[in-house]
Amino acid sequence: MKAMKRLLAAVLAVAMVFAFAACGGGNNSNDGGTTSDNTTTGSKVLNVMIEIEVATLDPQIATDGTSFEVIANFTDGLMQMDENGVPVEAIAESYEISDDQMTYTFHLREDAVWSNGTPVTADDFIFGWQRAVDPAVASEYSYLFSDIGQIKNAAEIIAGEKDVTELGVSAPDDHTLVVELNVPVSYFLSLMYFPTFYPVNREFYESTGGEGKYATSADTLLSNGAFVMESYEPAAMNFSLVKNPDYYDADKVQLEGLNYQVIKDSQQALMSYQNGTLDVVKLSGDQVEQVQDDPEFSVHGAGYLWYLTMNVHDVPELANLNLRMAFTHAVDREAIVKNVVKDGSLATYTAVPPQFATSPVDGSDFAADQEMFSEYCSYDLEKATEYFEAAKAELGKDTFEFDLICEDQTETQRVATVIKEQLEQALPGVTMNIVVETKKQRLDDIQSGNYEVCLTRWGPDYADPMTYLGMWITDNNNNYGRWSNAEYDQIIADCTTGQYVSDAAARWEALYDAEEIIMREAVIVPVYTKADACMIKSNVDGIEFHPIALNRVYKNATKG
Amino acid sequence: MRRFQFSVFKINESGVSVKKYILNRILISIATLLAILLVLFILMQLMPGSPFNDEKLDDEQRAVLYEKYGLDDPVIVQFGRYVWNMIRGDLGVSYNISRNTPITQLIQNRLPISLAIGGYAVLLGAVVGLILGIISALMRGTFVDSLCTIISVIGIAVPSYVFALALSYYFGFKLQWFPMLYDSSQAFNSSVMPAISLGMFTMASIARFTRSEMLEVLDSEYILLAESKGISGASLIFRHALRNTLIPIITVLAPLIVDLMTGSLVVEKIFSIPGVGSLLVTAIQSNDYNVIIALSFIYSAMYIGIMLVVDILYGIIDPRIRLAKDGGK
Repeated sequence: MKAMKRLLAAVLAVAMVFAFAACGGGNNSNDGGTTSDNTTTGSKVLNVMIEIEVATLDPQIATDGTSFEVIANFTDGLMQMDENGVPVEAIAESYEISDDQMTYTFHLREDAVWSNGTPVTADDFIFGWQRAVDPAVASEYSYLFSDIGQIKNAAEIIAGEKDVTELGVSAPDDHTLVVELNVPVSYFLSLMYFPTFYPVNREFYESTGGEGKYATSADTLLSNGAFVMESYEPAAMNFSLVKNPDYYDADKVQLEGLNYQVIKDSQQALMSYQNGTLDVVKLSGDQVEQVQDDPEFSVHGAGYLWYLTMNVHDVPELANLNLRMAFTHAVDREAIVKNVVKDGSLATYTAVPPQFATSPVDGSDFAADQEMFSEYCSYDLEKATEYFEAAKAELGKDTFEFDLICEDQTETQRVATVIKEQLEQALPGVTMNIVVETKKQRLDDIQSGNYEVCLTRWGPDYADPMTYLGMWITDNNNNYGRWSNAEYDQIIADCTTGQYVSDAAARWEALYDAEEIIMREAVIVPVYTKADACMIKSNVDGIEFHPIALNRVYKNATKG
Repeated sequence: MRRFQFSVFKINESGVSVKKYILNRILISIATLLAILLVLFILMQLMPGSPFNDEKLDDEQRAVLYEKYGLDDPVIVQFGRYVWNMIRGDLGVSYNISRNTPITQLIQNRLPISLAIGGYAVLLGAVVGLILGIISALMRGTFVDSLCTIISVIGIAVPSYVFALALSYYFGFKLQWFPMLYDSSQAFNSSVMPAISLGMFTMASIARFTRSEMLEVLDSEYILLAESKGISGASLIFRHALRNTLIPIITVLAPLIVDLMTGSLVVEKIFSIPGVGSLLVTAIQSNDYNVIIALSFIYSAMYIGIMLVVDILYGIIDPRIRLAKDGGK
């Protein structure tokens, strides 16, 4: 009989486990668990892969490319990006810029409505913008309003010195928005498609319960864009949007909807593409070799510049210009993009990467000429040796050992390993010790100056070279090596708030002067500009890819 | 029949001590959980980086965010506030994964999915493991025994994500029997491959354990007695040998459930399962403190809960264990 009781104990214990499981199953079927119960199906519904969950659908809180892309699917700002990344009118039907270039007047279209039927008004922009600079909201991109956008009083409001209502933006009537700037900002219109500048309907926001509630489900967000969120929950692994019938530009929208699927494993992603579950996937570098001859394979610039930052301030050897020059000439960037990264990324020899900033004069790419600074940056082992010998003589030593910090991602680790080999081979006596860290720890270390050399990256925030060049001024938070140069600081100040602000052509030239100083001083070792390798089904067309702000835009995409 | 009644009588008689025993176990569990929570808080402080050291943030913005979320307070204040809020059902908000979203909202739909898949995996692992173990024991030394041993060794040695990727390729991609990515409109079908990947280790462990336990029982004197009394075949195996094998298996099953949880971190990622395992991985990578604390706490609570249940069941059903703990009072 004891055995019987033991059996009973066993059965009960197992039953407990099942009870858990059963609860789970029950809840799951009730609320749909996630969202694919509601998955939109149809021949004109695009199935898209993303690598990471959406961090937030609140436009003023979002900071990552995935969130921006999804928010832009259902929200239009004053301007939107055309296929070339040029700002074109969206909610703003037209605009005027004052003669002193410090006042922008946007005329809003009258047929733009939110998905609850309320018209989109100037007050929606004022509310959204005030949220962005409100210290209580603590928007990470608030500096786009102050330092970058130079909107009147933005800096003071962010610092808590003025009230949000004093922000330099006003609404003479429901469909007119007037923005006042401190100084002319040549790229101001291109900020208007950045989601931080998107409108939020005040009344609706408050009706949802505000922060922590707003934009956490299809019911707590409004659409004024090409699509409407059909199903969503925070950090969903899949969610869907359907075409917005009330969109002012609905005639142009060909897709019936979008299904998003989070896939973190690249093998699963490619197989899901091959079996037809997905129409658009991103590939890892290793997968590119399998599919690069496939006509459905394509490469799109992602804008990120990977570079080596060197601690010029705290490491005496790295303060030596000749040693830094030796480094920058010893790195074989072509070999890295061809043999290691393998996804179409570009070898980069300039401090401002190509593909995102175009000239206000002739529309040419700021960094199109990758040989502009070949005197200071190229793969040239002879020069590397020359500089290295000079460095050895100046520093009075023959051997150098540095820690090279890199992130724990596979690709980054591989690139760091190859850079280590290249440097050690080209410059005998140099030893690089690779230190692998998580992103958070890496940032902690380099931001506090606790490093020697680090492989790091920077993605552009707006379509102007300043998004990169602004980093190297004295005391900038991202000037990790704390390099400092008065001449450089002056040029950047002249381009931001000084003499060049109202002369776009002169400013553009001055930015090249600034970049030359960075290259001449080998402040950083640029390595490569990241690209995204994608597979897109042959019946899909018209997806617009951009390296900044909105990485993928589907408004004009077709499937059929 | 008489003996059975006698046993029931004994349990009733010692009812007070059962209650005391259970209460004691529950109190210890609660204290353990609080201690775990405090350790988690201290670990968060020691974790390199912060939720807000994105390269785009400067020191001032970081200070604003720290203040907003109370991260600039001393650890003990943060801990006290957290416990107070937790008692009221507030687990804080997410800093990174889903900004400003309450953790309770974040996990309410995810936890059941993970539990369901974990439950299937335990079921599968336990049942198949038992069957394999019994067959091995009964056919000791034969080809079948060797085969079962090989399966067990593979199940223990190969990590769950390798099974996950292999299953996904053959049964998801090639044969298309099951969805490769979790689809909540066909939740059970979507759970099959993850549950198999997760359950392999449990299955292998149980199979090995059952085999050795069963062999021991089969060699024991009471089985020899039973055999000498003329009991044989199915009756001998199921009524006498298997029952005595089962109890120790429950003891190993409980810690195996914990392995399922840790295994689920990777398997959930592979199958894009909207569960808590994949959430925990992302949270750790992005220093999302509240999510890490909440999920680690839930995992600990589940583990302790399962151990508690096993302990209590033991205490109720096998008086020897309870009596030993009571010091023969």
